[in-house]
Amino acid sequence: MSEAIIVTRGVEVTLGGNPVLQGVDLEVAHGEIVAVTGPNGVGKSTLLRCLAGLRTADAGEVAVLGGPPRDEPAFWREVALVADEPAWYPGLTVREHLELMAAVHAGPRMDIGEALESFGLASRADAVPPALSTGQRQRLLLAMTLLRPSRVLLLDEPERGLDAEFRRRLAEILTDYAAEGGTVVMATHDPGLAEAARSRRVALADGRAETTV
Amino acid sequence: MSSAAEIRGFVRSRSRRPRSWTDLYSTGLGLAVVAAMLSQPASALLAAIARQADPSRMGAGVALVMLAGTGFLAAARAIGPVTLPPADAAWLLLSPLDRRAVLRGPSGVLLAISAVAGAVLGVGLLAVLGTPDHTGVRLAAAMLLGVAAATGGMAAAVLAQASQTWNTWAGPAIAVAAALAVAVALLGSGAGRRLLAAAASAPPAAGAVLAAMAAALAGLLVRRARRVLDRIPAGTLLDASVGRGHAAGAAVAVEPGSLTWSAEDAHWRGRTLRSRRWPALPAPMAPAWQDWRRLGRRPGRLAVLFATAALPALIARTGGGVLEGMTAAGVKGASGLAGTPGLLGVSLTVGLMLVGGLAAAAASTSGARRDGDNPALARLLAVGPRRILAARALLPGLLGGAWLVAVLAGLTVTGALPAGPWWLLGAAAAPALAAGALRMARRRPVDHAMPVIDTPMGAMPTGVLVWALTGVDLVVLGCLPLAAALLFQPAALGGFLAAQALSGAAVLSVSVLREGRRRRDPL
Repeated sequence: MSEAIIVTRGVEVTLGGNPVLQGVDLEVAHGEIVAVTGPNGVGKSTLLRCLAGLRTADAGEVAVLGGPPRDEPAFWREVALVADEPAWYPGLTVREHLELMAAVHAGPRMDIGEALESFGLASRADAVPPALSTGQRQRLLLAMTLLRPSRVLLLDEPERGLDAEFRRRLAEILTDYAAEGGTVVMATHDPGLAEAARSRRVALADGRAETTV
Repeated sequence: MSSAAEIRGFVRSRSRRPRSWTDLYSTGLGLAVVAAMLSQPASALLAAIARQADPSRMGAGVALVMLAGTGFLAAARAIGPVTLPPADAAWLLLSPLDRRAVLRGPSGVLLAISAVAGAVLGVGLLAVLGTPDHTGVRLAAAMLLGVAAATGGMAAAVLAQASQTWNTWAGPAIAVAAALAVAVALLGSGAGRRLLAAAASAPPAAGAVLAAMAAALAGLLVRRARRVLDRIPAGTLLDASVGRGHAAGAAVAVEPGSLTWSAEDAHWRGRTLRSRRWPALPAPMAPAWQDWRRLGRRPGRLAVLFATAALPALIARTGGGVLEGMTAAGVKGASGLAGTPGLLGVSLTVGLMLVGGLAAAAASTSGARRDGDNPALARLLAVGPRRILAARALLPGLLGGAWLVAVLAGLTVTGALPAGPWWLLGAAAAPALAAGALRMARRRPVDHAMPVIDTPMGAMPTGVLVWALTGVDLVVLGCLPLAAALLFQPAALGGFLAAQALSGAAVLSVSVLREGRRRRDPL
């Protein structure tokens, strides 16, 4: 196996007195896609927040790119997170959001037109995010995330609001990202997406992680 | 099919206990207490308006009353004006019930609110113009005129909600009214002074005729508005009612911050924009450019912002024309604020200037506010928080500083302040205004876990107080030299100017340097 980009050892997290993660061990290699699955409330998002440095584990170790994750710009220049939060500025169009991302990050992975086409947003390029549907806003967030360069992608239910056709397209986009050397960890409820992205499935159950496929 | 009244009665019978005599007693007692509380200030006001007014102050005063009326109607249009409680909007609006009957209650409330507001405006107008004789007749005519103007304006706003033609004209009409108020303010101290003085000393019968004509016109408008109630599109009513629901939710949870995003999203949702190329700027300026672009897309807001810069000069003129500092002749020998109405005036003007400057600066901090509330995009951008904060301080500093410069220049030109380069103090205060506005934009939600303290004025929730003062604190601290200069009004401003430049820069620098120590997400 190639070098491990993400390593967790015995990660434990308790939320409101409820033990959510009880010794999660996980290793994700360079260029690998891992799909974390499991029912609601099992701790998928909590695990992703630990990997993103947004939550400190009560016990255990977390290492991303060789060090503990930190909510700092240097970390976010290497790691991109997609979660369920509004990620747009008021008064800017879809195209301007993508241009902003390209202006801030040197060496974007694709040009603006390509991103609009690839994420099915070309016809909505002049729309503002509040005028988009839930699925289109999710496409915009994914487009901004995948436009910028990164080494690790953390995706919390990326299929949220997306139609079946675009989920297949998303699987291709993620596969291409991994083929370029990126590492992906996504929490998902869509086995089809996990399979189409040729990911390694890790099921969370009883606070522990177990590789299933 | 049941009527709207029967449905409302059914809902009321399930949601409230039956009314008893104690409810009537409580309501009656409450009204009596309110009447008793208002009687003293009302009689004092009536005694105060029975005088010959100073013609030099009339223009500014009439302009302020006109601006208040225009602001009232603009606010009514922004709210709806016809809205329903969210539950009624969800259950009754889209039902087969008679739309006019469903809207009867809210429209009645609108009429009552505009009548009260109009009466207050009428009394305000009379207070400005004065009553040389026949106080009772003039007061009645002024109140009738005010009520007619407000109810007529509100009826026009309702018509604008129902008809696209009226809607097209409503915005320009409000803008013309505001421009007219500015013209009255400008001409009132010069060419228009005689006209205003003539209007003030006109026989009471002339005022009564004018009020009667206005009332007749308002009556026609109200009648027409009642007829078109059922033609207001359901979508328009639903949008307005959702906004009202957000406002009510924000008020109940004492969380005003939640209201701003829903208003912001609603504004942009209805706009058609054209993408423009993002300028090639260095990393921290590129995200900060969002606020510049957003502001450029709201020129009306910018125009209103700078129009309000005339208010302090108008208020100063209404209050006497000169801001008397602590060294002014009128203050010598007096002790304390109570004995120095001039000092009270200057203190109020300083407060208004700082709050206004902060509001002007805060008009361009949506990016910082978004990053504070939802840092997802800030994480994707991955720019250092200090660098981005410094870049984001540029626009609010420019806006707040320009607003203060305009205010101080206005006060100097109108003679409210002695001659001197006062406007420079406004420019020097810009960094402090930017620091305060950015601190306000990034404040946490109200902490309801903070203690409630008992004060002579009642219980005070400290969480709300801390929330409200966050941002204002930095502005007050950073603008102390400006406030002191206005209070003491020294012959030479050099020292105060240097101190202001220093304190403004210091407050902003500390604010930016501390940013690196903030955690974006406490979880």
